[in-house]
Amino acid sequence: MQIDQKKIDEAVSTIIGYGGTHILDCVGCGACSAVCPGVKAGFDVLCRKLIRKIVTGHLEEIIEETSSWGCQACNRCTEVCPQGVRPQEVVFAFRRYQANELAFSTSSITSQMNLFETGHAVFTDPKANRKKVGLPEEPPTSAYNEQAQKEIQTLMNNSSMGELGLF
Amino acid sequence: MAKIGVYVCHCGSNIGGVIDVSDVREYAEGLPDVALARQDLFMCSDSGQELIKQDIRDGKVDRVVVAACTPRTHEPIFRGACEKGGLNKFLFEMANIRDQASWVHGQDPEGATAKAKKVVSSAVGKARNLEPLEEKYVDVTDAAMVIGGGIGGITAALELARMGHKTYLVEKDPSIGGRMAQLDKTFPTNDCSACILTPMMVEAYSHPNIETLCYSEVEDVEGYIGNFKVKIRQKQSYVNWDKCTGCGACAEKCPGKAPDEFNEGLSMRRAAFIMFPQAVPKKAVIDMNACINCAGRTIGSEPKVNAKTGNPILAPCEKACPAEAINRSLMLDPNGTIKEIEVGSIITATGYKVMGKENFKEMAPDSPNVITALQLERLISATGPTGGKLLRPSDHEKPHTLTFVSCMGSRDKNFHTYCSRFCCMYMIKQARLLKEKYPDLVINMHFIDIRTAGKDYDEYYTGARDMGINFFKGKVGGLDMLAGDKLRVNAYDMENGETIEYESDLVILASAVEMSDGTTELAQKMGLQFCGSKFFRELHPKLGPVETAVSGLFLAGCCQGPKDIPDTVSQAKGAAAVAAVPLAQGKVKIDPTISEVVTEKCSGCGICEPLCPYGAITMKKVDGKPRAMIAISSCKGCGVCTSACPSSAIQLHGYMEEQILEQIAALTA
Amino acid sequence: MEQIGLYLGCNIPLKHPDIEQSFRKILPELGVEPLDLEGASCCPAWGTAPSFDLQTWCAISSRNITIAEQKGVDIMTGCNSCFGILSEAKHFLEDKEMKKKVNESLSAINRTYQGTSDIYHIAQYLHSKVGVDAIKSKIKYSLDGLKMATQTGCHTLWPSDVYKIAEQNPYEPTILKDLCMATGAEVPHYSRLAACCGMGGMRSTDIEKSLKLFKEKLISIKEETDPDMIVTTCSSCFMQFDMSQLILRERGEIDFEPIPTFYYTQVLALAMGFDPSQVAAISQIDRSKIIAEMQSEQRLVKEVA
Ligand SMILES: Cc1cc2nc3c(=O)[nH]c(=O)nc-3n(C[C@H](O)[C@H](O)[C@H](O)COP(=O)(O)OP(=O)(O)OC[C@H]3O[C@@H](n4cnc5c(N)ncnc54)[C@H](O)[C@@H]3O)c2cc1C
Ligand code: SF4
Ligand code: SF4
Repeated sequence: MQIDQKKIDEAVSTIIGYGGTHILDCVGCGACSAVCPGVKAGFDVLCRKLIRKIVTGHLEEIIEETSSWGCQACNRCTEVCPQGVRPQEVVFAFRRYQANELAFSTSSITSQMNLFETGHAVFTDPKANRKKVGLPEEPPTSAYNEQAQKEIQTLMNNSSMGELGLF
Repeated sequence: MAKIGVYVCHCGSNIGGVIDVSDVREYAEGLPDVALARQDLFMCSDSGQELIKQDIRDGKVDRVVVAACTPRTHEPIFRGACEKGGLNKFLFEMANIRDQASWVHGQDPEGATAKAKKVVSSAVGKARNLEPLEEKYVDVTDAAMVIGGGIGGITAALELARMGHKTYLVEKDPSIGGRMAQLDKTFPTNDCSACILTPMMVEAYSHPNIETLCYSEVEDVEGYIGNFKVKIRQKQSYVNWDKCTGCGACAEKCPGKAPDEFNEGLSMRRAAFIMFPQAVPKKAVIDMNACINCAGRTIGSEPKVNAKTGNPILAPCEKACPAEAINRSLMLDPNGTIKEIEVGSIITATGYKVMGKENFKEMAPDSPNVITALQLERLISATGPTGGKLLRPSDHEKPHTLTFVSCMGSRDKNFHTYCSRFCCMYMIKQARLLKEKYPDLVINMHFIDIRTAGKDYDEYYTGARDMGINFFKGKVGGLDMLAGDKLRVNAYDMENGETIEYESDLVILASAVEMSDGTTELAQKMGLQFCGSKFFRELHPKLGPVETAVSGLFLAGCCQGPKDIPDTVSQAKGAAAVAAVPLAQGKVKIDPTISEVVTEKCSGCGICEPLCPYGAITMKKVDGKPRAMIAISSCKGCGVCTSACPSSAIQLHGYMEEQILEQIAALTA
Repeated sequence: MEQIGLYLGCNIPLKHPDIEQSFRKILPELGVEPLDLEGASCCPAWGTAPSFDLQTWCAISSRNITIAEQKGVDIMTGCNSCFGILSEAKHFLEDKEMKKKVNESLSAINRTYQGTSDIYHIAQYLHSKVGVDAIKSKIKYSLDGLKMATQTGCHTLWPSDVYKIAEQNPYEPTILKDLCMATGAEVPHYSRLAACCGMGGMRSTDIEKSLKLFKEKLISIKEETDPDMIVTTCSSCFMQFDMSQLILRERGEIDFEPIPTFYYTQVLALAMGFDPSQVAAISQIDRSKIIAEMQSEQRLVKEVA
């Protein structure tokens, strides 16, 4: 393994910029990995191992890594970390790095489009089921509310997400 | 007119590397009343000091300003030089152009030089107004007090006693011994803790120069180095210790129960109890919180009379005692008694406590089979609740798989950021002892990393690997409670980068070391300070490890920070040596930089009296009118009264008004 | 009646409206009036804005929160993910800099985030505001003798420092247990009580890994407690238990029949006597037998005069 201080500095500042603010506080105790359901299920580059990759400057090398998308955002790691690292925020910062480099699965683009169009990441026509259980066919959410949809589209268009051209 | 000499130091490159020393010197030369200004590579060197002495002897200067480093370390050196040159040493002032200029403005040499000039001119301004002061001496009481009867306190008391000084050893529990008395064997030699401790306890207790005051706490401390007046509360034991022979008959008959503190709550003791079999002194006490007042025998009550026999009906404890040490008819004061003693120096050795498992929510604290390491010591000790057999608390079965978890509450921002220092070693000790005794045990040890710095310590650890104990790098994340009171361990193997999951029968938590209960109150009584880690603050982390900011008050053992027995004993011997200094000298110096009341200006308003943190001020009648008076031996020169006095009647020598005003004028010029 | 903003999210109103209906049935009976948050959107889910940009996440979440703020009510949600997302966004918005930036974004849609509405999960709300005793007093069918395995779900437990209401010990959660016991049921402990079910990002990224985790949890439930039903307060966990047991069964990876799974308020609605075809109508696992058992005549609580 090479140690390249420039790459280390770049990797760390990228992750801090994306919200992994406390990454450098990690002492590598491994408590986060011990409780992470992702690591347990086999998404092994989460928590401590992900942090290790980043603080040794190996950010670009793992850009295609899918482990980060196996994170449940459950924050067990945050709860047990003795150093206040909030590893889940590091995982999500890494996701943001991947996403902004368009290194993520194409299947997730549908959710972004759904969110943009209906305000719901998951959208299925609910009318029949709602009627069946005795509710109005249209829920009071953004799904059937044009004004709400416009608001969400404005927010998304004006955000850095809008620049990626996903929707 | 004053003749001020200014001496600017390069301090090698510490100052000279940033500040233009010649420029500062030249500037100083031009200040009013400055007779001469010199510069030197190291003013504190012999040759540097010689410059000062010679100028004084030559009559060139009568006030000295050294512009150099910090007065904390160097003021005594330069004051000494003044004195040797024949000048009153309080006609000296220091300008700290290292900490205040070159170190903090290293990036800006010009700015640093300009600031150094200001600092020097302020010191010159003060020096112009300095007055000679005289040191005074007071006699010392040749006795010492040691608070806390653990291995640290016992060692310190013994050393002082051996040097010939009367020593009071004050312990809050019924017996001395401290945490070490609870241990089974001790690393790195595995000698039995009681075997090496008990003889010391006995020696201390029976030493003619030591008066052991057990079941006692410090109530109040007054005075100053050489002359402390201490009030000690001897708690009510409800047993006449002069008569008690320590036979334990009362405990045998007593039905009242409470968790046994000595066994860390793993078993129950009686309300009437002796702390542990090797207790010194071996005396019984009655714990009134657990006492059920058998036969209606509340303390101070008249016994009922048996209608048939006409005999009084006594409680089992009284009836059982063959020495008649328990008499519940006596109206004993529940607050105990107060004893007043006078001592010249004090050593605090109040030790530590360990965190309880309830703090660690992820560690299944409700399971009886999750215990602290101190509980394990009791579980494997021959005097413990199982007679030394390793049995699980839940079912008294022998466990098969054991798990040790390091750093519980230590090195953790949620609890304590410090390392508790001896846990790695005692965990390895416990594992080794168990593996020796039960070779078929599976022992898994989980560490963040293994810290075994100490003589023969790393060898002790590698030896444990040879014995077939399993070591894992990685903190345990949590435990799940399983049927049959087993535990599932969720850990991570950092070397392999994989999670570990297995079932364990008994999990031992190396929980953090913390300051003992009640130490905040004790600190308030004595003026002791705490560090960020909440242990007592020593005077200097390197050069004054046993001294404190209060002269005459010293520290030993874990109350200053976690340390094992070898380190505790070393520190205790060091503390005894420095605590003996004033006793051996017979006199102590009083620093003259203290406050004084100008009686003519005092209006007698009394505002100052309650403000003094050292109780040094009293109001006395002068010509029939109340006037403030300051006891020179109690005043510490903090200046609170000086700044509070509405009549400006209190002056603080060494920090007089005109001196400070000149400093401010120079800094704001 | 106590008013509260009912934040629906996506899965509940669109896929499981029977859960929504169970909220709407039980709450008024318990003295709570749910107000609709018209035009509320996705929280936004972890895989959307939170994975792209922190500020966009906070902007969309805060837009949802402002709808409640305008009505002057707190927010209650039945979806754990929504609860986690909104609570964390609120936590990030405590940072003045973030709040300022987000309000700049919101100004384009004429909204301002204040931070005045608190976020509750319906389980927390029922437990701490309504109270177990009030629930007990409304039970029509006692579920005495039935055994429930509880599944709290991750996002009401950790990180405990961002939630308005935290469990005494998040590793041994008791809120749902108390709620279940209020119906008369028995709720035994099992060792993987606090374990993750594997739903969420994990399932969409790699279903095999998700099922592996799920199976471990399911077996712990079955072997250690053998319950009549699984009860959860997380709509995602509900979907995992309802869908994936059948997959495991089909593949022969488990040798027992799938355990009927309910969202907690469905159980409560049934115990309170509401119509199952409205409050517990949509599931893959057949729940008809256990529902009939729950509302059987001999379970009727006798009115005490
Ligand atoms: C599980 C475990 C195993 C260990 N094993 C080893 C080992 O094998 N080898 C080793 O070298 N070290 C070991 N140690 C460390 C050892 O216990 C300490 O180094 C040692 O006890 C420190 O002694 P001390 O006198 O400073 O404090 P303590 O032993 O804590 O003694 C302090 C005494 O002061 C008393 N006290 C407290 N407050 C007051 C008060 N306000 N007034 C009056 N009295 C007071 C207490 O009652 C106590 O008697 C172990 C520690 C633990 C937790
Ligand atoms: S939040 Fe993500 S990384 Fe952290 S423990 Fe949960 S799944 Fe693992
Ligand atoms: S728990 Fe915290 S300190 Fe330990 S490895 Fe994980 S992020 Fe680093």
